[in-house]
Amino acid sequence: MKDIHSEQKTYKFGMVIDLDKCTGCGACMVACMAENNVSFRADETDKLRSITWMRVYKMTNGLPFPDTEVCYIPRPCMHCEGSGHHRPAPCIAVCPATATDRDHETGIVSQIYTRCFGCRYCMAACPYHARYFNWWDPKWPKGMEKYLNPDVSPRMRGVVEKCSFCYHRFQRAKNKAYAEGRREIREDEYQTACAQACPAGAITFGDLNNPQHAVYKLKNSPNAFRILEKLGTNPKVYYLSTKEWVRRGVDHYLEEEAQD
Amino acid sequence: MSATEEKEQAVSGQAEQGKEGGEQAAGRAEIKPTSTLSRAKLLKFLVLPLLVFGAGFVVNLFIGWVIFPRLLYSEKDQPIDFSHKIHVEAVEEGCESCHFFGEDGTFSGVPGAEKCAECHEERIGIHPEEAKLVEEYILPGKEIPWHIYARQPNCVYFSHAAHIKMAKLECVTCHGPVGESIHVKRYQQNRITGYSRDIWGWRISGIKTNSWDRMKMDDCADCHKKSGARNDCFVCHK
Amino acid sequence: MKLDRRTFVQFSLGSAAGITLSPLPWKLTDDIAIWTQNWSWVPVPERGEVSSVNSVCNLCPGGCGITVRKVGDRCTKIEGRHGYPVNNGSICILGESGLQLLYGPWRIPSPLRRAGKRGEGIWEKISWEDAITQVVQKLRALRQKGESHKVACISGPNSGTVSQLFARFLKAYGSPNFVQMASGRDTEELAMGLMHGTASPVAYDLEHASFILSFGSGLIEGWGSPVRVIKAHSIWRTRNLKERATVVQIEPRLSRTAAKADNWYPVRPGTEAALALGLAHVIVKESLYEHRFIDNYTFGFEDWTDSSGGNHIGFKRLVLTKYAPEAVSQVTGLPPRKIIDLARKFAKAKRPLATWGRGKGSRQGSLYECMAVHALNALVGNINREGGICPQPEVSTRTWPEVEQDEIARSGFGMPRLDGAGTDRYLHVKYLPERLPQAINEQQAGAVQALLVHEANPYYTMLDSTAVAEAFERIPFVVSFSTYLDETAQHADIILPNHHCLERWEDFHTPIGLQKPILALLRPVVPPQFDTRHAGDVIINIAKRLGGSVAKAFPWKDYETLLKWTMGDKWNTLEKRGFVQEANYKPPAWEEAFKTSSGKFEFYVKALERQGASQPQDIRCLPHYKTVEPEGDHANYPLTLIPAESIRLANGAIGNPPFCTKALPDTVLKGNDLFVEINPKTASNYGLSEGDSIILETPKARAKVLVHLFEGIMPEVIAIPSGLGHTAYDEFLAHKGVNANKLMGVVEDPVSGLSATWGARARIIKV
Repeated sequence: MKDIHSEQKTYKFGMVIDLDKCTGCGACMVACMAENNVSFRADETDKLRSITWMRVYKMTNGLPFPDTEVCYIPRPCMHCEGSGHHRPAPCIAVCPATATDRDHETGIVSQIYTRCFGCRYCMAACPYHARYFNWWDPKWPKGMEKYLNPDVSPRMRGVVEKCSFCYHRFQRAKNKAYAEGRREIREDEYQTACAQACPAGAITFGDLNNPQHAVYKLKNSPNAFRILEKLGTNPKVYYLSTKEWVRRGVDHYLEEEAQD
Repeated sequence: MSATEEKEQAVSGQAEQGKEGGEQAAGRAEIKPTSTLSRAKLLKFLVLPLLVFGAGFVVNLFIGWVIFPRLLYSEKDQPIDFSHKIHVEAVEEGCESCHFFGEDGTFSGVPGAEKCAECHEERIGIHPEEAKLVEEYILPGKEIPWHIYARQPNCVYFSHAAHIKMAKLECVTCHGPVGESIHVKRYQQNRITGYSRDIWGWRISGIKTNSWDRMKMDDCADCHKKSGARNDCFVCHK
Repeated sequence: MKLDRRTFVQFSLGSAAGITLSPLPWKLTDDIAIWTQNWSWVPVPERGEVSSVNSVCNLCPGGCGITVRKVGDRCTKIEGRHGYPVNNGSICILGESGLQLLYGPWRIPSPLRRAGKRGEGIWEKISWEDAITQVVQKLRALRQKGESHKVACISGPNSGTVSQLFARFLKAYGSPNFVQMASGRDTEELAMGLMHGTASPVAYDLEHASFILSFGSGLIEGWGSPVRVIKAHSIWRTRNLKERATVVQIEPRLSRTAAKADNWYPVRPGTEAALALGLAHVIVKESLYEHRFIDNYTFGFEDWTDSSGGNHIGFKRLVLTKYAPEAVSQVTGLPPRKIIDLARKFAKAKRPLATWGRGKGSRQGSLYECMAVHALNALVGNINREGGICPQPEVSTRTWPEVEQDEIARSGFGMPRLDGAGTDRYLHVKYLPERLPQAINEQQAGAVQALLVHEANPYYTMLDSTAVAEAFERIPFVVSFSTYLDETAQHADIILPNHHCLERWEDFHTPIGLQKPILALLRPVVPPQFDTRHAGDVIINIAKRLGGSVAKAFPWKDYETLLKWTMGDKWNTLEKRGFVQEANYKPPAWEEAFKTSSGKFEFYVKALERQGASQPQDIRCLPHYKTVEPEGDHANYPLTLIPAESIRLANGAIGNPPFCTKALPDTVLKGNDLFVEINPKTASNYGLSEGDSIILETPKARAKVLVHLFEGIMPEVIAIPSGLGHTAYDEFLAHKGVNANKLMGVVEDPVSGLSATWGARARIIKV
């Protein structure tokens, strides 16, 4: 039995988001909320406390009318790969409870709510604001708990939550593959809820290691970049943009800093 | 003389004796503690305390091993006294006849009344439990409120497909020889957690002799470790 | 033995040792740990058998195919249906929030009768029998009094059978006052009817266009069929530079669409028609137009002489004389150079396409503006061919037998319509909903004695909310067929709640703007969650109870029977596959394309000769620019207010679900306060900075809002998000922000009577 498992394939799931195509419509945000039982409150306008695993940011080029330009940047968890065993993703490095960890099969950064005790170190460590704290118990208006997805456990007050690249969909895909006697899953069988919903087809999801997958090619495009690349967090979410100011903007280069 | 004073005196007397004994050990070799005093002391300082200690020990062992489990679990009857044995013999595909996989690999778990109705649309035998099934559940179209022994907390993800279809485990490995049972066992529910006693195991010690005796995280993890399967958090948690 | 301290300690130690060696502490620790992870108030989603059901989303005119994932008997997720011709697997933000609408607390649980004052929200639950009886009694009494024409019905802008059932009911009952809610398609239908001779909305072949010139259309804000248009946008944005299309957005504000466009040309609000004609000027002058089309298949391009010898000017002379770039520049604020350049690029593009309809296209607009944009498409010969436009085709269904009216119905139905549609004044329009409140308010005697509202929320969505509220006050009996407790239902006397769209059968006709006709079927995905009934069933039931000729007009047992009958031979496919598409449909060639009196595409619309006597005749028949001036003078109201529509904010009859409201940025809503966008330059004139509180005032209303400084909006223009300011629904939507419709009045398009409102004059006061 040992042999079967040691041969088990490892993936490196990642995402490429085409900012030229992204219209900022927000379908990814809501697809995520609906898929992952994200709670909501009557007032969600305090964005520091509003839980949005996937959040679309708006960035402008800062020029006055009529030369203003706007770009929308969807931001899931970057599922940072870190570099090597001694420098994992920032959140994993600081978690005192081992509530967050790197999944070896998929490269996905996991978050176990029942293990988390809410110290929020990971939130402080994450440079992408991708982690959210449950300041309140999630509460669904009467009757609305009926739409909750049994594949994702609802969180409780006092724990941190974040995007899981819809890991349960990976499990779902594997289940199907097993039922059909396959060990490997196909590219289209495991897609995140946001990638599936995106009307613009701006989000591409797949195995970054697999040359057959669309993301493999896209991430090597000359227009590809990652947010805050210079921090060395080694994110698994890539972006594409033909606009220079967008590429510069997301890496927060200060004027005096060297640019390549 | 109060107990305390007596003790103090006794202690000081002993101490003096000790001193002298130390200094003149050779000359007083024949001197021994008076046997009556030592017996009383022995009783007082060793036997009695031990008895009291032992009483506390035994009482609490009893509480811990016998009373506690009785208090911890409440007992519930299953709605129908189901015989797995009869059914396994009657169906063709063993467990999977009723506990089946969907095309997408989802596992049906405990079958709904609809599944039962495939055979028991009306009575096909004379057993009173079957009559109960047909009259109380199938005819009125009600679901059977089974208590589920293997129910895990909501944070747990478990794939039957991965274990049965891929790793080729037998049902028995985790669920035990349920298929041979003639009666369903009583369902014991943990009053604190709300889950079945089967998760911790029926031995309150938690010691298991069979692979199906417990269903705790450690049991999963051990087997995963032994078989070389992954033990990453997301493998079993959601 | 005495129990002294010593014994106690000894016993305790023994106990401790005993307990430690028993399983109790270890087991208890474990159990408590599990207990703390499973708070009883954190819901545990029930498991069950997983299945999926295909249906169609009708939350907007987009008509996307959906796949609903079910666990047991619960719906857990709405996803786009793979392979569906409109959206192929994708879905928009509103569609995927649909389950919040299905299970939300804003559902109406049973028929209700008003128990308090109007709008107070005090309701009494009544039985269906009781509710229908009350409606029938009221309608019967009005009919007996000979006041059947005083019953009005407002339905959603939907071409399905249920809306038609209401229209049929009114006809059989004896009232001409059936109205569908306003939408951009009203204007399109009118323009197409006049210029093409086919009164249907414009269908755009967006996917094949190579140059898209959008006159304020919020292409990615929910215009047309939203997912389909965003998909087309991605085709335009392909990285293959050869195939990459150019998108030019004409709009005073850097909307999402403008932000994604290749070029954004801000023009003064309301002057889009002038720009269109200015572009036409350049195209005509430089002879860049499609000669084969213009010369052979159009009428009124050149000057012409009628049969009685009268001379008429044509479109060519009109644009050449009146719309030179310099003149247009004066009006629009766009430099002449840019106008010329844009015209050339547009005309020289391989497959240019001009789109009309501001924002989501949910508002009506000026007929001449629509015609002007349409004339641009004609100039480049972009009619009925790849990458162009055509009249939207429909899949045909069986037509219902004619209604046989009795005497009362005949006389009632023959009365003039309250909104004036179809009269000599507004000859070519079917409905003028935005005129209705005014018409009701102007008449002293109760012009409307009973109002039926179906799939619409006029109390919220109509312009000039104050006038709408007054009109409602004047109607003694309002019946709502709403699914949700919206503003209109809140101000009704009886609510007969409809099934949610995931609980019912209904047909859905070609989504707006599509060139291939589709007929789709909504099906019950879950059984009704509350004591609701299909509005179609209810109206059939009411008709049957009224008896006589009214009942005879509804020979069907129930709605489902009617639907099957109407779909005829298509029913089986619909039931099995969910839709019928004529994928090979091709619009007719130019020779047979036009059903106008001239048989050609009419720049000069002869049908308009009889209308709008205030203008010189020739101008009246040609697309031209005439300012649509909102109420208020420039001195008192120096600023211009325009609505800002966003795909994240539903602004129609459906209230924004909590997920969508959650997705709103904090530059739109903060707490319950709404932000308006102001250019920093304008703001500095008023000494305003980010987040300042101001009073925004228009001639219609005033509202307290917050300032959001945005470089992407034209100076002197203020943009207000459209879709907030609800007073009904629940804590997740009510009392958040301001209703933009309240601030804007109806500006009547002189020729058509449609509402040509594009904004309002405004002023701001710092507080």
